[in-house]
Amino acid sequence: MLSRIAESFYWLGRYIERAEATVRLLAEHHQLLVEDQSVPHATGCAVLLEALSMPDTGVDTPHELVRVLVGSEIDPSTIAGAVSAARSNARAIRESLSQDTFEALNSAHLALSRGIAFAASPGVALHNVLERLLVVNGVVDWTMPRDEAYHFMVLGRELERIDMVGRLLSIRHDLLWPSSGPAATLRAAGGLSPFLRSGMAITGADARRFLVLDTTFPRSMRVCAADAEEAVRGLQRRGASDSSLLLREVGMLRSELEYARTPTAREIEQFVDEARGAAQRAGDEVNRAFFRQHGTVVWSH
Amino acid sequence: MTTAPADAANAPVAPFDEMITPDGTPRATHAAVMDTLTSIGASGLEVRARQRDAYLDRHGITFTLGERERPLPMDLVPRLLMSGEWQRIEAGVIQRLRALEAFLADVYGPGRVLADGLIPRSLVTSSTHFHREAWGISTPNDVRIHVSGIDLIRDEAGEFRVLEDNLRNPSGVSYVLENRRTLAHVLPEVFAAHRVRPVNEYPERLLDALKAAAPPEVSRPTVVVLTPGVHNSAHYEHTFLARHMGVELVEGRDLYCRDNTVYMRTTSGPEPVHVIYRRIDDDFLDPVHLRPDSVLGIPGVINAARAGRVTVANAIGNGVADDKAIYPYVPKLIRYYLGEEPILPNVDTFDLTDPDQRKHVLAHLDRMVVKPSDASGGYGLVMGPSATDEELAQAARDVISSPRNYIAQPVVTFSTCPTVVEDGRIAPRHVDLRPFAVNDGRNVYVLPGGLSRVALPEGSLVVNSSQGGGSKDTWVIDDGVGDERPAVEDWSDDGATVPWPPGYNATRRDNSPSAHDDRILQQERQQQQAGDRAAGGTPC
Repeated sequence: MLSRIAESFYWLGRYIERAEATVRLLAEHHQLLVEDQSVPHATGCAVLLEALSMPDTGVDTPHELVRVLVGSEIDPSTIAGAVSAARSNARAIRESLSQDTFEALNSAHLALSRGIAFAASPGVALHNVLERLLVVNGVVDWTMPRDEAYHFMVLGRELERIDMVGRLLSIRHDLLWPSSGPAATLRAAGGLSPFLRSGMAITGADARRFLVLDTTFPRSMRVCAADAEEAVRGLQRRGASDSSLLLREVGMLRSELEYARTPTAREIEQFVDEARGAAQRAGDEVNRAFFRQHGTVVWSH
Repeated sequence: MTTAPADAANAPVAPFDEMITPDGTPRATHAAVMDTLTSIGASGLEVRARQRDAYLDRHGITFTLGERERPLPMDLVPRLLMSGEWQRIEAGVIQRLRALEAFLADVYGPGRVLADGLIPRSLVTSSTHFHREAWGISTPNDVRIHVSGIDLIRDEAGEFRVLEDNLRNPSGVSYVLENRRTLAHVLPEVFAAHRVRPVNEYPERLLDALKAAAPPEVSRPTVVVLTPGVHNSAHYEHTFLARHMGVELVEGRDLYCRDNTVYMRTTSGPEPVHVIYRRIDDDFLDPVHLRPDSVLGIPGVINAARAGRVTVANAIGNGVADDKAIYPYVPKLIRYYLGEEPILPNVDTFDLTDPDQRKHVLAHLDRMVVKPSDASGGYGLVMGPSATDEELAQAARDVISSPRNYIAQPVVTFSTCPTVVEDGRIAPRHVDLRPFAVNDGRNVYVLPGGLSRVALPEGSLVVNSSQGGGSKDTWVIDDGVGDERPAVEDWSDDGATVPWPPGYNATRRDNSPSAHDDRILQQERQQQQAGDRAAGGTPC
């Protein structure tokens, strides 16, 4: 397939995941700031912005935090920006997407650009956005052929997911809000119920271990790495050449997480950082191997 | 404790209002919340109310009334309790529980309190919730009341009093947690000015207490929540608790007893169960010993409990201690077992088995509340001032024919709280308070706040959800805004000293290159414009 098309699918996967993960994280963080005021709002806002690589502009109310993170279309670190970037990529490959996928994404984009973010209560607005993103994922899941394009999209989604879980874990809800923080971390990844059903008591360390190493939860870094590896193997089966370095990157991450000793609280941080580093390197490698193989052609006179 | 009310009490006394002082000025403690609500305005509150309904519906936060599943109406105005007020409630609840635990251990054991004549033996043995089957069953950590919900009201003087004890299956705690989440979701602004004590520890505390109650030889106890099934009014709460504790929600048919061990049927074979947090009534628990027609229970579970192989929480037979006929004696029990003065007083109550008190009640029936002594949920309650003559006559006949089955209390006008009524207006409505307490054998944890139930119809004093009551998010406020938390730099733990591996860039954010490439964008646009021009025909 065309590199340009493949690239758009890859980024479509990444941006949808980024938007969804940011919405969940913001909704949960907002709820925590409102409900448990033991942490000054300025601090609580700053840690989230920092985790999402956003400049700290002195935001000090939960409402303002939502406004900044819903953001605008020009900054793809924000929700509106990520949705808009996902839509730009979808437009470029509109002919290869199912009509339902494009519609679902477009309606999320329209809802955001028409100012849903200014509805009275942020929780309600965020929920509406999340709902539309879930529809996009659902439609993709049941309409998209499992072809090369799909594997690119999944690869993008999983690499972004590792990055977003890493960002979530960098916030340290467990240290800031010792009583309600660990549950909030899990909830922000949609993992509270699965965690509780595993029979563990909620502690900061166990919650963090769960999001890094659990064997069945789809947002644990370990499962993400396995899914990313599977996507690369899928690409290889479809004839993608030059993917051995990429496979090495995701495969090593997967096996490192799979065969790890149970890490101590301190070691979890290393796992998280290594996983994010591996995801970044894998992203570079995807870029090099599939989208930018020959560099930019320069005409000389 | 059964002092006859002074006749001066004939005149209706104004209820204590938690927001407005008798001279009409708002209490300073409520100012911030009321300012916020005023600035949102009536029409704004109507919008929020719709968002709240949508939220509750979507989350399926419901209770079942009759055949219908409906959301428990949650009022948008929170109820505020200052930390000083709360301290007293907490201490009073803990004290009362300690006395009631001692009482249960006594009546299902040596019977000291009966031998000493403090409580008439007949009152205990005639209680429908006194189960001889439970006599001599010891509890591993001496806890029988693992979970309680003691109902409090605030009288005309603003003093908290105990209205009734719920020591069997008090429900409503899930609404406390959900109300907090819901309010923060739809009305985050009201939280701005206060530091509210969090409530979300509850499931964890409950699970710890249930594990602590397991038979001592079990190192990793399996806890289950036993529900009567999806048609029970509190089924939502049962699922909530099971989910938040991460334990199985079971029905009677999922469990069976063999050789005094309770097992649950699983796809990988029978699995032993050590603690059953049951949300079904005593009568239905074990058809072998109790109601033989029960299909909700587990045949043989009482024998298993007696053999010490399984713990049933709350314990069987607790109902004798929250029997309304025992209620007037609880202050005496506190003095008897603990040697302390009760922190939270009772509401004046008439023992109808006493001829003099009965006579007094019958003469003033129109100013009394008559309650069946073994019922809960507001069923069978006759509210004197609002009852018809026919209802009063029937109540009198009931009291005369079976005085043991009823108690009477002078109507207490409990306190009012600002509440959103029709058209987004705010008006006073009567509220009660059910603080939930969990006893793990070492400590009693009282969930900060508890469930405030509000009687939504104007002037109504019946708050039961089964009778059209709603609820309020209840805040325990820590006075003074806490800035004593360490600054960001200081909350690093061991993790922060780990050096980041090389090649990892924490602030890096990858983005799609082409989506924001201005040059491509410009040129693509020009192509489009060129096309437009071509189609429209160019000037000149």
